[in-house]
Amino acid sequence: MLSSATVAADFEQVSVKRLVKTYGTTRALRGVSHSFCAGEITHLEGENGSGKSTLLRLMALLGRPTSGEIYFGDEPASEPQRFRAQIGYSGHEPMVYPDLSARENLDLFARFYGYRDKEERLKRLARLEELLGHGAYLGRPARTYSRGQLQRLSLGRALLHSPRLLLLDEPTNGLDREGLERLGRILDQERARGAIILLVTHDERFASAVCDRRIRIHHGKILDADAAPGP
Amino acid sequence: MMTLLRASLLVAEKDLRIEFRTKELLSAAGLFAALVVFIASLAFYLDPTEARRIAPGVVYVAAAFSGVLAFGRSFAREREFEAMRGLRLTPIPRAAIYLGKCIATFAMLSLINLGALLLVALFFHLDLERPLLHVAAFLLLTTAGFTAAGCLFGALTVVTRARDLILSVVLFPLLTPAILIGVVGSREALDGATGSELGVWYLLLSAFFALAIGGGLTLFELLIED
Repeated sequence: MLSSATVAADFEQVSVKRLVKTYGTTRALRGVSHSFCAGEITHLEGENGSGKSTLLRLMALLGRPTSGEIYFGDEPASEPQRFRAQIGYSGHEPMVYPDLSARENLDLFARFYGYRDKEERLKRLARLEELLGHGAYLGRPARTYSRGQLQRLSLGRALLHSPRLLLLDEPTNGLDREGLERLGRILDQERARGAIILLVTHDERFASAVCDRRIRIHHGKILDADAAPGP
Repeated sequence: MMTLLRASLLVAEKDLRIEFRTKELLSAAGLFAALVVFIASLAFYLDPTEARRIAPGVVYVAAAFSGVLAFGRSFAREREFEAMRGLRLTPIPRAAIYLGKCIATFAMLSLINLGALLLVALFFHLDLERPLLHVAAFLLLTTAGFTAAGCLFGALTVVTRARDLILSVVLFPLLTPAILIGVVGSREALDGATGSELGVWYLLLSAFFALAIGGGLTLFELLIED
């Protein structure tokens, strides 16, 4: 609980083994097993309520599975603190502070991820400019943002620390055509960097354009998994 | 990886920056405390002797209710946009979130409660020249214990829908010992008790604070997990 000196781990693959998650009487995941490799973007598809978001949340270490295990490389996720610095997650909510601006939020989270040097933080923010764009909105409190601006900020927060594992739940929601193009370019860059990327989206065109693999989830189980048609 | 202290100070800095920008908590809780003192001065003031006996109670009533307001508002900020979840994604120790909220909330509540003390001194015609150090020390020590317990229960309001119930119904019974000790200690200080005579109250308040902060550090992570 008070330990903070653990060394962050690195890994080339993330595996889930017989993952089960139950909420009360509802079984959101019913024994999901799969491995995700570095340098690949995997599209998780399935109907609403099939367990896609639950799988992403568990892999982001936001909660414990009812049973089953998650492995980062060969190591089980029994010490979550070791892996958090290598995980980036963007979900349905922005997960930022509404009274701080985009710049302030990203600077704050960069400090939480351990970037003490101000120059380093400015460099990271500059790298996100392709996603965030330029505009006066970056200096305004996040509560004044449109849906699309919040989505960009949320994605920026997930990408800020160049994570090994990138989990994106409906990242295309609220993005305009320019935003989608920027996101696609950034995902290509992340893939080239060797990131393991999981993407949940109902935007089939975007998924077909960027993803290497496709996994179909139905009622908490993987129905099939195959290589997606190439970009 | 960031140390516990550095991460806690970062969380506290974040809270204080938001608070000084919005002044939401200071204005709401501060105004509430001032109203409690003012209304109590109209309702309970009889004569200077009775005023000296009643005044400590008024201070702690104001502190208790403004504190509950402060905890609720402080954690409401973490619920909005699910900001707390964003914090939980980072590698900072979970205890740092709790400690950081405690530090920031203690700073704000100390400001409000010391202000309430001065207002009570004004409206109840108290002579604080000699006992001021002890009365202020009791108030700050009670505020510290109050904050340690309040931030733990404030975390519950992020994950449950019974928010108002948690803070008002569950928190107050737990804080009663600290409030009683603070009131009795302050009353004896106003009556001219010396430091050594007040020692047992300091010891009890310190023990309460140690229990509250220990409980918070132990339980906070369990409370905020999905």
